[in-house]
Amino acid sequence: MCDSCHCTETTKSDSEKKIIEVHESLFAANNEKALANKKLFAAAGAVVINMISSPGAGKTTLLEQTIDHLAGTLSIGVIEGDIETERDADRIRAKGVPAVQITTGGACHLDAGLIHTGMHKLMAQGNKFDIIFIENVGNLVCPASFYLGEDLRMVLLSVPEGSDKPAKYPGAFKTSDLYAITKTDLLPYFDFSMEEARKEALQLNPELQILELAAPKGTGLSAWIDTLQNLINGKN
Amino acid sequence: MHEFSLAQNLLGQLLELAAQHQARKIIRVEVQLGESSNIVADSFQFGFDVLSKENEICRSAKLVLQPTAGNDLILAQVEME
Ligand SMILES: Nc1nc2c(ncn2[C@@H]2O[C@H](COP(=O)(O)OP(=O)(O)OP(=O)(O)O)[C@@H](O)[C@H]2O)c(=O)[nH]1
Ligand SMILES: [Mg+2]
Repeated sequence: MCDSCHCTETTKSDSEKKIIEVHESLFAANNEKALANKKLFAAAGAVVINMISSPGAGKTTLLEQTIDHLAGTLSIGVIEGDIETERDADRIRAKGVPAVQITTGGACHLDAGLIHTGMHKLMAQGNKFDIIFIENVGNLVCPASFYLGEDLRMVLLSVPEGSDKPAKYPGAFKTSDLYAITKTDLLPYFDFSMEEARKEALQLNPELQILELAAPKGTGLSAWIDTLQNLINGKN
Repeated sequence: MHEFSLAQNLLGQLLELAAQHQARKIIRVEVQLGESSNIVADSFQFGFDVLSKENEICRSAKLVLQPTAGNDLILAQVEME
């Protein structure tokens, strides 16, 4: 009974207020999907690498060179994330490797749900892979917050971006296992300090393995290929 | 930049909770924000304020962000009626 007019409507009293303790991560849904992805990756027999960098640091170029080196010896699959266009997937397909393009239509990162869908599409093109590369959306910040279920996370930093970037954008460096400094052929033209780029990243994450690459020139590629091979051997 | 999509996820979860508990209104939401989560409190708050207006149940919900250690973003507590 409502006490102001005695109608039969009940009024809301404080006792109807409920406080619910939830204590659940807002990334929980993503992390659950990432664990489901891990099962898909295992079913495909693949080790999976999540590549993170700012736009243009050389992710697709490194993939093209890697494919040239490994074609015939390993079976490779690629999931490409971009805001728009099929262009990166087309570059990979041109090398004869199965590729799925995910366009986020604006979102600045890939999440585990998008990879789950992408992975089903990739498996329609081949059911066993030695290695699957996920090229994240070009962005040095947001992708670091989203675990995709990958075995190895790598961050790429290109010489023209500047050696102060690990300290300024720590997230990706803190959460990665491997750090590739790319476009080292351009060192003579930029004030990039290799010492700063290494030291400040290692301060954030002492476990980081560091590679120096100039992929189109072949520089550093053998150390990179060794890393991939060790990763695959470690999984088998 | 992904603060909006996280706010969207949070609102989705709040609507589910409201349905579960037969609540008509979300009053107060407490979220713990890890200091190394790369999430900007102001834009998360802004995203929540904008998106919460899109439905009746969350329209007047107040989001309280508690800074914590770590890199997670945790929905701690929800007050509803
Ligand atoms: N000089 C030089 N140029 C490079 C190197 N690697 C990549 N590039 C060039 O850098 C530009 C960008 O390379 P991409 O491989 O498309 O970069 P990306 O990281 O895939 O870019 P998004 O997918 O748009 O984020 C291209 O013009 C490449 O030719 C390198 O080692 N040295
Ligand atoms: Mg690319």
